[in-house]
Amino acid sequence: MVPILREAMVNDKKWFSEEEMIDILSICQSLPGVIAVNMATYVGFKKKGLLGSLVATTGVILPSFVMIIILAKGIAAIGGNSYLLGALAGLRAAAAGLVIVAVWQMGRRVIKDWLTGLLALASFVLILFFDVSVAYVVLLYLVGGVLKAYLNMRRIRGGGESDAD
Amino acid sequence: MLIKLLLVFCKIGLLGFGGGMAIVSLIFDSIQQFGTISQTEFADIVAIAQVTPGPIAINTATYVGYNCAGLLGSLAATAGVAIPAFILTAITAKMMKEFSESPLVKGGLEGIRPATVGMIATAIITLTTPAILAEEHLGARFNDVLQNMPVDLVSCAICLATVVLIGKYKKNPFIVLIVMGCIGAVLGV
Repeated sequence: MVPILREAMVNDKKWFSEEEMIDILSICQSLPGVIAVNMATYVGFKKKGLLGSLVATTGVILPSFVMIIILAKGIAAIGGNSYLLGALAGLRAAAAGLVIVAVWQMGRRVIKDWLTGLLALASFVLILFFDVSVAYVVLLYLVGGVLKAYLNMRRIRGGGESDAD
Repeated sequence: MLIKLLLVFCKIGLLGFGGGMAIVSLIFDSIQQFGTISQTEFADIVAIAQVTPGPIAINTATYVGYNCAGLLGSLAATAGVAIPAFILTAITAKMMKEFSESPLVKGGLEGIRPATVGMIATAIITLTTPAILAEEHLGARFNDVLQNMPVDLVSCAICLATVVLIGKYKKNPFIVLIVMGCIGAVLGV
């Protein structure tokens, strides 16, 4: 969805420049939640304040919301039709395949050394085998990352100060 | 139930770093307590969420909410997952552009990245298990042998084919999924 949003806002409506768009993207990626929704909220706010962000966010969520409800009702109504069950089974298998590809691609981007590899493996083991709540794992790694950055900052500053002596 | 749904999804929305699939694995983890959705049903929901327009995380939330508590449930879940991000983003839009450049924020996000890989890897297990170990095997009505196999061979084949088509040949995922869905429909269970 991100390329579509970018296209609409930079080229179509000319609301932002490419550089501004890059800023918006990086901010929205730093926040939790779906990036498309964050972008809608952010842009809506920048253009028309709180009301704008409400309208934009609702706008980006509404069509898929409606479609899912229609699909959900439809599937519930059709029930045990052999074609439907078959289609769902096929989709299930294909979606699983898609996720496998996603992990592979993400793994290649994220895992650069033995430490990141170990951390990834650890999170996998924690969630799957030790039944640790995913939420806790996220918090743990988030805090860990912040701590590491904080210690880095202090180390750099500490080194700078002693050099100045 | 509705309040609980809203709160659970707010928590998900607050911790949803790492993209759509990460949020989906958070959702699966969190709905265990509701007990209304089996692993197979969840796999179905995610599959449908993949082929409908809109972000997969929102679609999954909507569908899960619907299954738990009807239309109001879907509203509660969707609103829940969107609200924390909405609040945080609106605040950031108003105040801090420097937010994304803070080394602490960057550090936190970088710390999350290996976890995201692990999280989505568990999603592989969550999604493949119902696909491969389904009770009714795909294509079984044509060939009894297929039903007697310990795993659903056709599903395995579809999964592998998808991996190759999307991973190696970079075909459009949406199209691949739809095609596999049609194959499944034709074969039937």
